[in-house]
Amino acid sequence: MDLETPRSVLRQASRELLARRNVTAIGLGYKVTAGKRTQTLSIICSVARKLPVSALSSPDLVPSIVRGVVTDVIETGPIRALQAPTGRFRPAPGGVSVGHRDITAGTLGCLVRKGGELFILSNNHVLANSNDAQIGDPIVQPGSADGGTVANDRIASLEAFVPISFLVPEPPSECPFARGVIAVLNAGCGLIRSQTRYRIVSIQATNNLVDAALARPLVAADVKDEILGIGAIQGTAQAALGTPVKKSGRTTGLTTGEILQVDVTVDVQYGGGRTARFTDQLMAGAMSQGGDSGSAVLDGENRLVGLLFAGSDNSTIINRMENVFAALGVTR
Amino acid sequence: MRLLVAVLLAVSAGPAAFGRGEMPATIQEVKTKHETRLMAMPGVVSVGIGRNADGQPVIVVGLDRERPETRATVPQELEGHPVRIEVIGPVRAQ
Repeated sequence: MDLETPRSVLRQASRELLARRNVTAIGLGYKVTAGKRTQTLSIICSVARKLPVSALSSPDLVPSIVRGVVTDVIETGPIRALQAPTGRFRPAPGGVSVGHRDITAGTLGCLVRKGGELFILSNNHVLANSNDAQIGDPIVQPGSADGGTVANDRIASLEAFVPISFLVPEPPSECPFARGVIAVLNAGCGLIRSQTRYRIVSIQATNNLVDAALARPLVAADVKDEILGIGAIQGTAQAALGTPVKKSGRTTGLTTGEILQVDVTVDVQYGGGRTARFTDQLMAGAMSQGGDSGSAVLDGENRLVGLLFAGSDNSTIINRMENVFAALGVTR
Repeated sequence: MRLLVAVLLAVSAGPAAFGRGEMPATIQEVKTKHETRLMAMPGVVSVGIGRNADGQPVIVVGLDRERPETRATVPQELEGHPVRIEVIGPVRAQ
């Protein structure tokens, strides 16, 4: 059978076929009969839901033959445009752009439960501006770097955050003895032409375990308990060396990797010269970029294992989800 | 829970270990013991536990860039556990 005849029929009949209730798409393809593909070219009408002929009024029925070309009806479900994670989503799933009004944009991780209510989980530096926010501050979806504004796109309010302890360089004049020691050390380094220079750093008594915060949705129906490109979450699990992982994030979308290191202690730069030390972290290979912070990290069975928050050219740093849940007092 | 597991392991390993005298330190214990010193070396941004190509656990020291002086200073093994050095780049909040 030549292709030109069915193609011209399809063009002529497209408007009347698409006018039928339920028909979402039309195209040319081989007709499938009793589950087997035949050699017959047909006009394929995709429908959201296949209904018995008796349930349809005659104007909505797809005729079995249109101008000599047979038809086929297949069920594809509703067809939606594939939307970029930087767009505006209502309801908003995990994996899309979100942020405190004063930051650029991060990623909405997933929904978690506290006291029977659902909250948005992401990083402190995404929802609470790295400790510089007030409880109740507006959270926008998409984040401001993606055009979100408080007036039009506010989705939630900051509910709680785990403060980040930063390593604080001592002010210069604090301790004359320490300054003397440092001066001698650095003079020595200069003498031996070493690039090393010492400075006084007060190590915080508490290392960080998580960069995490919660936001309360203004309207429960504006958030969706699944993750863009991944779907429903199948509970939680603990990651170990070699666990295959994936994330859906605002900047790089759906990416996969593997846990390459556990028990990681790592110094993370937060901009403005601030550094924070984290312990008990997971490290995967490169699978994220700026804006992916806050992404939920899942294992091969779609179980939550971590919260992505930092990375370098060839590493991704992930909080253990069990530490996040414990610090915020939340569950799935 | 993890603490409980550690205690149970210690108890079950007890008699044999006492028979030989000192109990060998686990790679986690050795890493914890040395990490403050390792993290203070120029350019060290991370210390963790990974695997070698043969699947054996290894202490991994991450550098912000190539650092010949630090490479020369970090020991090749700590209390019997191998140490690997990797350049991972500066780690930033994303």
